Amino acid sequence: MSLLRYEDRPVDIRPGETVLEALLRAGIDAPHSCRAGNCQSCMHRAIDGAPPPESQSGLADAQRAMGYFLPCICRPTTPLTILRPDDLNASLEAIVRAIDPLSEDIIRLRVEADGFAYRPGQFIELSAGEDLRRHYSLASHPEEDPFLEMHIRLHQDGRMSRHLAETLQPGDKVHVAGPSGSCFYEGVNVDQPMLLIGAGTGLAPIYGVLRDALHKGHRGPIRLYHGARSRKGLYLSDELRALSDARDNFNYRPCAFDPSAPHGGDVAATALEAERNIADAAIFLCGGENLVKRLKRELFMRGASLKNIRSDVFTLSG
Amino acid sequence: MSNLYERLGGEAAVNAAVELFYRKVLADGRIARFFDGVDMDQQIAKQKSFLTMAFGGPNNYTGADMRNAHKRLVAQGLNDSHVDAVIENLNYTLRDLGVGEKEVKEVAAIANSVRNDVLNK
Repeated sequence: MSLLRYEDRPVDIRPGETVLEALLRAGIDAPHSCRAGNCQSCMHRAIDGAPPPESQSGLADAQRAMGYFLPCICRPTTPLTILRPDDLNASLEAIVRAIDPLSEDIIRLRVEADGFAYRPGQFIELSAGEDLRRHYSLASHPEEDPFLEMHIRLHQDGRMSRHLAETLQPGDKVHVAGPSGSCFYEGVNVDQPMLLIGAGTGLAPIYGVLRDALHKGHRGPIRLYHGARSRKGLYLSDELRALSDARDNFNYRPCAFDPSAPHGGDVAATALEAERNIADAAIFLCGGENLVKRLKRELFMRGASLKNIRSDVFTLSG
Repeated sequence: MSNLYERLGGEAAVNAAVELFYRKVLADGRIARFFDGVDMDQQIAKQKSFLTMAFGGPNNYTGADMRNAHKRLVAQGLNDSHVDAVIENLNYTLRDLGVGEKEVKEVAAIANSVRNDVLNK
């Protein structure tokens, strides 16, 4: 029996051969470049079995935790089943439990999916019908909630939005696949300062990460910035304020666009002004592409390490 | 005498240098534009790969890899002055880390050895 499975088929691997060599020999068009474990072009993910530690050299803690490894320097000694890095696992059936408003145009969707393993802050693909699929981040906690929780902005002409607002009812079936993404607490040191910045429904993964940090007894300071276009978009602010009052190490800073507020209420500018000492911080950025790119670059230039910055870009697809 | 990569400190030296180097490159008005819009995480892995090579470490790059990787940039105007700027930033990075002048020169020479492939000459 071969030590290597690629998706659902066995791939012959010879003693001493790397996973990359075996994939290429089997005619699989696996991307690669340096063949020395540096450029990460060939990265794959192990969904069964543990890749040898040296094959995860140079990867971020979050990537290692998810089973990512570099085939070009991986000589497995125990069985491995691997997928392309962006491949999702098979989808699972889930039951809609609740659909509730969080603000004027944001709803909270809770679905129950038995045996769906995830880390708070990761995202899933929600499928509500033939070619009606969207990615949503998880604000729920697997050890505290018997459901997956998503925060979804409703767009006037969005197909999924209309489906969620007008058709879907508790008890209905949907499908979930994944999880994906590295926005999760695992890999953060309990004493490390944490900087969480989310815009719009980018709060969902940030909220998930926050809950997991508190659940795991995080001791370092946690500062959360939430940006919204208006005050009404600052959903969950009562909960976050209450948490901030109750915890010495948690600080919540809501930012809504307002010409009279400092920086016009821009969450990125507000956070960048306040956050001067970020060299050792674990940083989470979730929101639109421009916001995430700007913050990532600025924070890196100011001394944050890229391996300490985790981000998810939210794209609009209605 | 051990080889250059070992003298510099191997992978740990690359890890210590890579973010310093990338910050200098992004802050350098002469070359920053070539990095606009690229994914920073992918880019840092490539920078690491480049430094490993320049430090005399293990790599399997071929001239063809170098040519293909930079073709798009050459079309955007990448020329000798930009390669000079990259090597200059590399020198500053090594000096910041306290690397001796002899090793700084050796690293610069290796980086310079791929110049023609990078520029698709």
